[in-house]
Amino acid sequence: MKRFLETGNFAITEGAILAGCRFFCGYPITPATELAEAMSMRLPQVGGVYLQAEDECAAMHLCIGASLGGMKSMTATSGPGFILYADPYGWALGCETPMVVMNSGRVGPVSGITGAPGQGEFYLTRYPTQGGNYETITLAPNSAQESMKIIVEAFYLSERLRMPVTVLGDQLLTDGMEDISVPENDEEMKEMGFRVWPRSYHKGPDFYPSVDSLDIPPVQMGYNTGALCSDWTPTIEGYDIEEVEEHHRHAYRLIYKVRNNRQLFSELYEKKFMDDDPDLVVVSFGTPSRVVNTAVDRARSEGLKVGALRLINLWPFPDQLFTRKTKYLSVELNWDGQLVREIQRAVPKDATVNFLGTCGDLPTIPDLIENFDKILKNQPLERKGWVLEAW
Amino acid sequence: MAHLSSALVEDYLRTRKIPSTACSGCGLGINHKVVIQAISELDLKTSDIIWGTAIGCAGRQTFGTWKGDGFAGTHGRVYAIARGLRIALPPEKKIVLTVGDGDAFGIGLLHLIHAARSNAGITVIVMDNLGYQSTGGQFGFTTPQGAKTDSSPYGMFEHNLMSEGMDVMDILKSAGATFLARHTATDALAAVESVKKALSNDGFSLVHMPYPCPTNFASRHLGSRSAVNIFRWMQEHSAPRGQEKPDTIWANGVYYDARGSRPEMSEHVWESVGKIRRTGAL
Repeated sequence: MKRFLETGNFAITEGAILAGCRFFCGYPITPATELAEAMSMRLPQVGGVYLQAEDECAAMHLCIGASLGGMKSMTATSGPGFILYADPYGWALGCETPMVVMNSGRVGPVSGITGAPGQGEFYLTRYPTQGGNYETITLAPNSAQESMKIIVEAFYLSERLRMPVTVLGDQLLTDGMEDISVPENDEEMKEMGFRVWPRSYHKGPDFYPSVDSLDIPPVQMGYNTGALCSDWTPTIEGYDIEEVEEHHRHAYRLIYKVRNNRQLFSELYEKKFMDDDPDLVVVSFGTPSRVVNTAVDRARSEGLKVGALRLINLWPFPDQLFTRKTKYLSVELNWDGQLVREIQRAVPKDATVNFLGTCGDLPTIPDLIENFDKILKNQPLERKGWVLEAW
Repeated sequence: MAHLSSALVEDYLRTRKIPSTACSGCGLGINHKVVIQAISELDLKTSDIIWGTAIGCAGRQTFGTWKGDGFAGTHGRVYAIARGLRIALPPEKKIVLTVGDGDAFGIGLLHLIHAARSNAGITVIVMDNLGYQSTGGQFGFTTPQGAKTDSSPYGMFEHNLMSEGMDVMDILKSAGATFLARHTATDALAAVESVKKALSNDGFSLVHMPYPCPTNFASRHLGSRSAVNIFRWMQEHSAPRGQEKPDTIWANGVYYDARGSRPEMSEHVWESVGKIRRTGAL
């Protein structure tokens, strides 16, 4: 095990390499630029290729191409680039091409504030492309060390489920410096819970089977198997077809190969005092969760009956964690409230759901505790001159 | 060496997809045969080529026709996919892309220019049906100047990418392409020779192959869906390069042949990666 004082970008780079990533295509964008830089330095050292594309749309398409040719591939960006992935993301979902996509969130809308953390793409990672009829997987680590593990896990899931997997971070996660341990061999990787799935290729001819089973190798070019993949609805062999029945078969697989295999990622969450009958459950993901966790610890020591639920697996949304009839508070790095809507949908009928948003900066611990207290006393939440609606 | 379409189909194409569902009188089949003929004359096997297509008439009609491996990208993106694939594939595998004019010279032009810049080992065959025909017949960026289409009812009055001094061939040459040619479907024999040169180039090649669309283009611009009529019209408006007449729209021939003048992208990248890995520097 080697220890470093380094950024989240460093941890993600090392994690990707450990997972077998040998192709990265990027486009400079704050705050994901340093990840591209780190990849451009590290990949050639391990026999991999870094390319810089003309835009993010091309970057993810190049990753598709490399993945079709058998290389584990990755790209990374921030919100304004993630929106340009809409086109290739759909292609990769439809053709079931494995790859990993990193989104380091900054403050939006549009270009917004480049150098500050935001969580404005919670829903965008669920619906990264048009058309519907698919399921996506999004994972959100909250530290540099965890981001290394989650990147490895993202590659693992993308291979087993043959699909792109998104890792959602933010500027603090990727740019912040922390103590990072990097495993040096397979044994250490195993100890740290890193799982790696090797790439293989589909021998055909049923390249797009109508079942939701796992571990079907991806469609690959270059083995002369007669493999076909396209943006159109495929027949089982991969021919393009305009038939609703065939499309239903295809869409069913895209949706249920994920939903029916949730056990692969459903344990990716962290809870605090959740078994101690909390009157308020504070829900968060990414870097705000680190402040939330400390605030919840402190609130408990002050006698407030709060618990914390930190989501790592964001999509498919873990409804099973929201069965308790109690009060909820969603703490997010945005002012419009995104995660809160999903919590509101998932909780039992009698539960109440509140929202506390900050943007560009983390909430403070006293602020959080004050709000916990207000919610527990059924008082309205107020902050900086405006009243936040109770959801 | 096969010349009969039936023999070429047997050797290289899938009978499930050939004959295609193209309209009666469509010139795409001629261009498709030109490419297969060139492949046959170079004695290439189905395992030697990965065939990519785009969307629209050219993409849809050629997707899944190749007996070997094939893929189709969304509109304009297949050049980016092909560059990634080029990196991952062994150098002896060739990548052929059959795309439309809207794909190459409209929505995909940025990616096309970067494929040329990097001299990626790809042969792009632009099957130009004179506009956006699968959407009903709108003008594209190499639609003849003045042409009446569904989206240019008064005649196409913007400059196109074949206008004097701004030919897309010049743009691609400046961008770094190492083989460029243009042949209408009425110039098929010469086109076979150019496609052979394109396929033998270890770098970025593009052959622009305008062909007649009787259904949409001809019905609007020429007032007739007669295939003979539009073939004759294209023939009248094409000439060999250097022998252009005042009414020539398409000058057929090789525009630029710099095969072997620059390293191919993936070979260059892998050589650089190998050197960095061995020595820590370039």
